[in-house]
Amino acid sequence: MKTITTDFEYLPATTVEEALDLLSQHKDDDYKVIAGGQSLNTAMKHRLIAPEFIIDIKGLSDLDYIKFDDQEGLKIGALATHRSLEKSPIVREKYPVLCEMEENVASVETRNWGTVAGDLCNADPAVDPGPPLIALDAKMKVASKDEERTVDAEEFALDFFETVVQPGEMLKEIQIPVLPPNTGAYFTKYSQIHGDYALASVAVSITLDKKKEACTNARIGLGGVGVKPIRAKKAEEVLKGKKITEALLAEAAEVAKTEISPVSGIEGSADYKRELAGTLLKRVGKEALARAQKA
Amino acid sequence: MKRELNIVVNGESYNFFIEPKTLLVQVLREMLGLRGTHQACDSSSCAACTVIVDGKAVKSCSILALQVNGKQVTTIEGLADGTNLHPIQQAFIDNWAFQCGFCTSGQIMGAKAFLDENPNPTREEIQAAMDGHLCRCTGYNMINEAIRDAAKRLQALEAAKKVPAQRAPQVQKWMQTAKSGKGAA
Amino acid sequence: MKEYSIIGKPTPNVDGPAKVTGEAAYSIDITLPNMLYGKLLRSPYPHAKILSIDTSKAEELPGVKCVITGKDTPGGKWGLWRRFRELADQQALATDKVRFIGDPVAAVAASTEEIAEKALDLIEVEYEPLPAVYDPIEAIKDDAPMVHDDFPSNINATRHIEWGDVDKGFAEADYVREDRYVIEAAHPCAMEVHNSVASYDKGTGRLTVWTSTGSPYFVQQNIAEALKLREGDVRVIKPHVGGHYGGKNSTMPDAVNAAILSMKTGKPVKIVFNRDEEFTTTEHRTAQHMALKIGLKKDGTIVAFEAKAITNGGAFTGLGATTLFLTGTFITMPYRIPNYRYDGVRAYTNIVWGTSIRGFGAVPSKYCAETQLDRAAKDLGIDPLEIRRKNAVAPGYEAPGQYKFESCGIQACIEKMAVRVKEKWPNVEKDEGIGYCGFAYMSGGIFNWIDTPYAYSSAHVKVNWDGTVDLYSQAADVGQGHNTVAAMICAEELGIGIEDIRLHMGDTAHAYTDLGAWGSRETLMNGNAIKDAAGQIKQKLIDLARLKLGENIAYDLVARNKRIYLELRPERGLSYYDLVKDAIRANDGVPLTGTGHYTPHNKGMISPAYGMGIMAIKAKVDRETGHVTAQDVLVVHDSGQIINPLGARGQVEGSIHMGLGYGLCEEMPMDQGMLLNPEFVDYKILRTRDMPEIEILDVPTYEPNGPFGAKEAAEATIAPAAPALANAVYQACGAEFFSNVLKPEKVLKAIREKEKKDKESAKSKAPSKAKGK
Repeated sequence: MKTITTDFEYLPATTVEEALDLLSQHKDDDYKVIAGGQSLNTAMKHRLIAPEFIIDIKGLSDLDYIKFDDQEGLKIGALATHRSLEKSPIVREKYPVLCEMEENVASVETRNWGTVAGDLCNADPAVDPGPPLIALDAKMKVASKDEERTVDAEEFALDFFETVVQPGEMLKEIQIPVLPPNTGAYFTKYSQIHGDYALASVAVSITLDKKKEACTNARIGLGGVGVKPIRAKKAEEVLKGKKITEALLAEAAEVAKTEISPVSGIEGSADYKRELAGTLLKRVGKEALARAQKA
Repeated sequence: MKRELNIVVNGESYNFFIEPKTLLVQVLREMLGLRGTHQACDSSSCAACTVIVDGKAVKSCSILALQVNGKQVTTIEGLADGTNLHPIQQAFIDNWAFQCGFCTSGQIMGAKAFLDENPNPTREEIQAAMDGHLCRCTGYNMINEAIRDAAKRLQALEAAKKVPAQRAPQVQKWMQTAKSGKGAA
Repeated sequence: MKEYSIIGKPTPNVDGPAKVTGEAAYSIDITLPNMLYGKLLRSPYPHAKILSIDTSKAEELPGVKCVITGKDTPGGKWGLWRRFRELADQQALATDKVRFIGDPVAAVAASTEEIAEKALDLIEVEYEPLPAVYDPIEAIKDDAPMVHDDFPSNINATRHIEWGDVDKGFAEADYVREDRYVIEAAHPCAMEVHNSVASYDKGTGRLTVWTSTGSPYFVQQNIAEALKLREGDVRVIKPHVGGHYGGKNSTMPDAVNAAILSMKTGKPVKIVFNRDEEFTTTEHRTAQHMALKIGLKKDGTIVAFEAKAITNGGAFTGLGATTLFLTGTFITMPYRIPNYRYDGVRAYTNIVWGTSIRGFGAVPSKYCAETQLDRAAKDLGIDPLEIRRKNAVAPGYEAPGQYKFESCGIQACIEKMAVRVKEKWPNVEKDEGIGYCGFAYMSGGIFNWIDTPYAYSSAHVKVNWDGTVDLYSQAADVGQGHNTVAAMICAEELGIGIEDIRLHMGDTAHAYTDLGAWGSRETLMNGNAIKDAAGQIKQKLIDLARLKLGENIAYDLVARNKRIYLELRPERGLSYYDLVKDAIRANDGVPLTGTGHYTPHNKGMISPAYGMGIMAIKAKVDRETGHVTAQDVLVVHDSGQIINPLGARGQVEGSIHMGLGYGLCEEMPMDQGMLLNPEFVDYKILRTRDMPEIEILDVPTYEPNGPFGAKEAAEATIAPAAPALANAVYQACGAEFFSNVLKPEKVLKAIREKEKKDKESAKSKAPSKAKGK
């Protein structure tokens, strides 16, 4: 069975400071940051990558947190595992869509060791947290030794397996603002086999006005239908300011289909994924609306 | 350059010097000779290699061994108490929850970690927890029944610990049932 | 049905404690002192001449002990179709040319696996690519590239089966339809990859091989041929095996090259495939084109049936030629077909080869036949279960010159099904459907293309002074539970307990021949051999008991509950343990032994007995995504006397998992001979949340050819899963399929086509006709 056969210099960090120092030192080297390694180790086994240095941040317990307050919302540290997000009572209460998303990420064993941040940095276009974080208007805090910057969720990934994280930087925290009143969010992914990579996934967040009649804001994130997770801004505009009906959702779905660029693969053709994305958007929108009405 | 690894495996402490690229499964199988943990894939898709690290079920083929430094690892070999099988192991036997047995160690360790967290699971919860484990022989349903049976047995054993003396005879019966494997629901 | 002490009672797996504690050793777990690790260098081309191989750099790598290419091997060819030597076409390493991507050209033995892999990178091979062919229809054309020189038109095997007068039958039919199918390949996906450890003893010139196999005897034969050794100088030990499903019958380059490398280095050598090697270079389920023509009377009686198959054999034979034969046989079961004709062609192509995967030809053929039958039923206005009931065979049915059903419970199965379906699924909701499929399957094969001179199964039983029993058999438990069945049969026959029996299984040194675990042969054939062996000992004990008891000659004695006693006067008997001691004393101190064997005679061409039944699947279709959910499965089957109900249930459920996968999501897409999904991340098999609940009902019969009336139990149930599912979808929404994998995109397309067709026919009001694709 495959093992990692290429040697690398191993650089473990125990504090955030140390980690940022190492990143700064090695920013011109061929390095990779490893947290849980649930994607990285498989890639190394298959010789898809063979970094000379591995900076191990799994030991940064200071970044293993999930905290919420009524002002700043939710903060997920870089070392929070998928499983801790899935099981967090405060997340289940405030942002249940994230728990629901996590329940179908790979398997329990992968979620126990792999991190949400690591998954986002791996940047598979079908990365499960991608669409819900877009829908929830999340911000990514990217840090280097000298500075920190904030990136909107929909700007974080650039391309297949490529993000805005530059050499010398790391993703330190994911922040999700407090949801406005009368907001409901829902996520679904479709794969033929349970727990598999999404053929297409959709997250929708809907905010209703005080009377819970018209939609004041809508945010739509889609996964697996482009080179990265996509925010469907034009489709959002279809919903904003109006009373959401099934017909309106269908219209938004048609618009969203023009904003995505799925790629054909052995798992499905681009045409099928496009149609699937539209179908899922209608279903997810309906659920998000129901949640907003109950909120 | 080799680095030091200190781990506790099945209650015993070990000290190794290993190449950083060494995966946890290699330490277990090759360095410790614990070959009950198997590998069935190279893409982290099958969970056959599942072991428990600090109470959590993880895929030993997908973790650098050095990340487990200072932690406690339990493998399939650490489950039985001498020659007394763990109730989960006995439940697997009594419910024919394996055929070729190659995925079984991973299934049992996954089930152990799950039942430790959720002692009274529904069928759906069992399926959700075990969905990472590929099996080609059983079609899974008999595995799920074994896990539900194991949950009942473990609960009976727990209940036995808490029951006051005057209910002892009934509890004795529960304990016998739980350990013997007969009369399993 | 007769009541036994052990037979028919749920019995836990005798290998249970070993398997649940991790103590069970598979060949992948075996390590020996001074063991080396081997790896194979494989061709990147589907078809190419080997011009040169330079291994010098690899040989210089520290830690490398030996590097070999084709010219360094003894050069023996081997195969399982030994009756026709030209079909024994496998080689340890390619010599003149490579025939599929992954065909091995060199092998390395080194002190670590990592060094062996690095050494592969240092071997330089010069290839001259040749034109390649991937589809069998293309391969049999005159201008196709030749995969093997002595096989014109790349025809590896053909098969013709005929009875009655098919053309007359079609002429007399009220309704005739033709359908064509393109059936895709699938992989057995055993969790334990192919792997072997070989150890050559220079002193004695004897080789020992541990390997993950379904037949240690086949491996012994094949290695002897490959290495030009005597069979008796090769010992093959089958440890626990992590799955087989028909994909480990052929001896593969891991075993042969490990042996050669061991002979050259004088050290044990272990070769373990990676999962991608397992997908790309080991045997799979054959892809094929099928054309079916069926003729029925308007009341639904089948009058004629014709099937044609062109199968994608791949680069070698394996047991694929047998599969070609059985494809044309199982397709007729379990129905009365008065006039039948089958023509099958297996073509060589430049991909890895197809062989005897679980179901052995029944799987693709039943998929085609039973989905066609549903369409015919619809056109004739006949209920799909009723059309199967009408055509189901009765006991004693004989397909002229081919097969005969002695025990045969299919009609009772269908009756039971009809009642149970109404209870279980009284309401079928919108977009849901119930699909049926009838099935039957062999209990071991009679054909002997393997060309063994030995009895097909044999067993040796020895009873010791203390009454413990040693049972020796080469039979292979590959997970199906044969070890437990073997112990149960032996114990029942001797009237003792399983706890008295020590098993010595799967080792060619210890026992006589058994052909291995394929075609569901172990229970019936090896079971008969064990019952025969134990029966001989039982007879000795009975004779001695009769002597000692001095009873009236009219009384029969039985062995049960560790006693030998008068059947009619159970209180008059003797303890088994005492009798054993007496018998050994009376035998000059020699333990009691029995040697049993079984080879079917006068039982037709195929098998002495057949398991059979009917499956129903309820499924739901999502019309917007094309997702098909298998909601519930009901099987009613006749497996004769089931030996171990626990094991039988496990096998039925496992075969349904594999069958549903075949019908939903398992595929092997290739691009110019290169497999595109060689890992479990991309080759999809069903997970626990994808599996429906399964209800199994039993119609017990007594099979006279099997031990205690037993016959095959559960390989039969793989074939019906995919067709029953496809029929359920057809019943739910009318979508038709002419290929097997119901991926959502394909289903959605078929639904849209059906909707379009409905709209058009509503417009034109044209009468619907039977038509093929």
